Amino acid sequence: MALLSFLDRDHSIAAAGFNRWRVPPAALAIHLSIGQAYAFSVFNLPLSRLRGLTAPAPDDWKLTTIGWIFSVAIVFLGLSAFTFGRWLEQAGPRKAMFASACCFGGGFIVAAAGVQLHQFWLVMLGYGVIGGIGLGLGYISPVSTLIKWFPDRPGMATGLAIMGFGGGAMIGSPLGVALMDHFRSAQSLGVAEAFVVMGAAYFLFMLFGVFTVRLPTAGWTPAGAGVPSRRPIVAAGGDVHVDQVIRTPQFWLLWTVLLLNVTAGIGVLGQASPMIQEMFPGTISAGAAAGFVGLLSLANMLGRFGWSSLSDSIGRRRTYMIYFALGAVLYAGVPSTGRSGQVVLFVLFYAVIMSMYGGGFATIPAYLRDAFGTMHVGAIHGRLLTAWSLAGVAGPVLVNYLREYQIGHGVAARDAYAVTMYVMAALLIGGFAANWFVGPVAAEHQVAHADMEDALPVGTGGRLA
Amino acid sequence: MTTPRDGRSAEARAVEPSVPTRDAGWKLVGSWLVVGIPAAWGVTQVIVKSLALFR
Repeated sequence: MALLSFLDRDHSIAAAGFNRWRVPPAALAIHLSIGQAYAFSVFNLPLSRLRGLTAPAPDDWKLTTIGWIFSVAIVFLGLSAFTFGRWLEQAGPRKAMFASACCFGGGFIVAAAGVQLHQFWLVMLGYGVIGGIGLGLGYISPVSTLIKWFPDRPGMATGLAIMGFGGGAMIGSPLGVALMDHFRSAQSLGVAEAFVVMGAAYFLFMLFGVFTVRLPTAGWTPAGAGVPSRRPIVAAGGDVHVDQVIRTPQFWLLWTVLLLNVTAGIGVLGQASPMIQEMFPGTISAGAAAGFVGLLSLANMLGRFGWSSLSDSIGRRRTYMIYFALGAVLYAGVPSTGRSGQVVLFVLFYAVIMSMYGGGFATIPAYLRDAFGTMHVGAIHGRLLTAWSLAGVAGPVLVNYLREYQIGHGVAARDAYAVTMYVMAALLIGGFAANWFVGPVAAEHQVAHADMEDALPVGTGGRLA
Repeated sequence: MTTPRDGRSAEARAVEPSVPTRDAGWKLVGSWLVVGIPAAWGVTQVIVKSLALFR
């Protein structure tokens, strides 16, 4: 009971003298952990050889089947963020982060049982469903908390946390490989044991975030400097209720912005290794291609912090204009770098593209705050992440389909990516248009005060109606 | 005197001590180290791996 009480929202209010710079590490502890999801592919090959060990046995799982584990986890990330977003605003970050730790750590344990018993549905239930719910809860909760602590620099603060999600793969990937190497034996590839250790380790690491996260008191503002005014997206600085937000065109425009930015990036990210090898045949080895993927992860991570911080100075709308305009130009230019054999330029183009892909994720919470206020920003962010769920499936399918179609019609593998790049550029131009139309939210959608429990949107029978 | 750039709540400002404790400083440094060390390890791994691209 004492633990449940400790997790309450009221018990996570910061005491006098609390330094707000202790909150980003709490957020990073969660995001660095759940960011491991991006590194799940290191288990794909071992999972396809659990019976055969050195080569797939007839009853081993197919790689295409295993690939669905990550996709299902991302779908459940979006669904849980959508479903539990409003709950976490009421329950507070500590309870939500604890639930996330239980789901993410517990998901690994259930998946380990699935590996041990060679039951695919159990692996899917553990990592894809239970772990995916942990991803959604863990993704939005620290972001919402940081926005409340850093009203003067929301882009920088959320960029810092979401950078952790991008960086989580950098820890998860070598950790997973090292653990499998450690537990490998003549009878086992060490996957189940690695899952158990990772589940326990991530649970403990996430508990650090649970114990150290704090909420500011109501009405708190940073001392010393005045809080920069919210960017002129919302008239009169009002908050918008989460149930009202889907009635605003701004929500759907931002949903489209996220969908197109992620679709354009995620599909290519998944194909990065074969793409560079096929575009530069004989020049780029498999090892160098792995280095390229690592470099893209780094650019993705740094872009989350860099671009999001920049958005505090130049504004969210302008930042997305840069993402889409520059991204479209770079995508359109990629095929020519391949044809002329300019590897360095190719890598540079992709590093910038991936930095803006990451930046798109990191800047969106601050954009939501600008548009809809801080009152329900976590819940609204959760609803917006359904765009990520869709993009997580649509992006790879689109890229793979376009490539197969080209090759099926006699186009050389090297040239098959050109059309894909032009389609990605077109998607970004669509995103540019959606972002262009984001304007102020009408006053009729706003609530008059920031008390979440009591707040009801205007025109829904509430006390403001 | 604390004139923190990091901000305090309205209630907190009325009762907080005027000098920050050393303990609070260690907690801040400790928190960043807990997440900074594994993150730095991961980034190093990626950079080492990425060097293969330029060999």
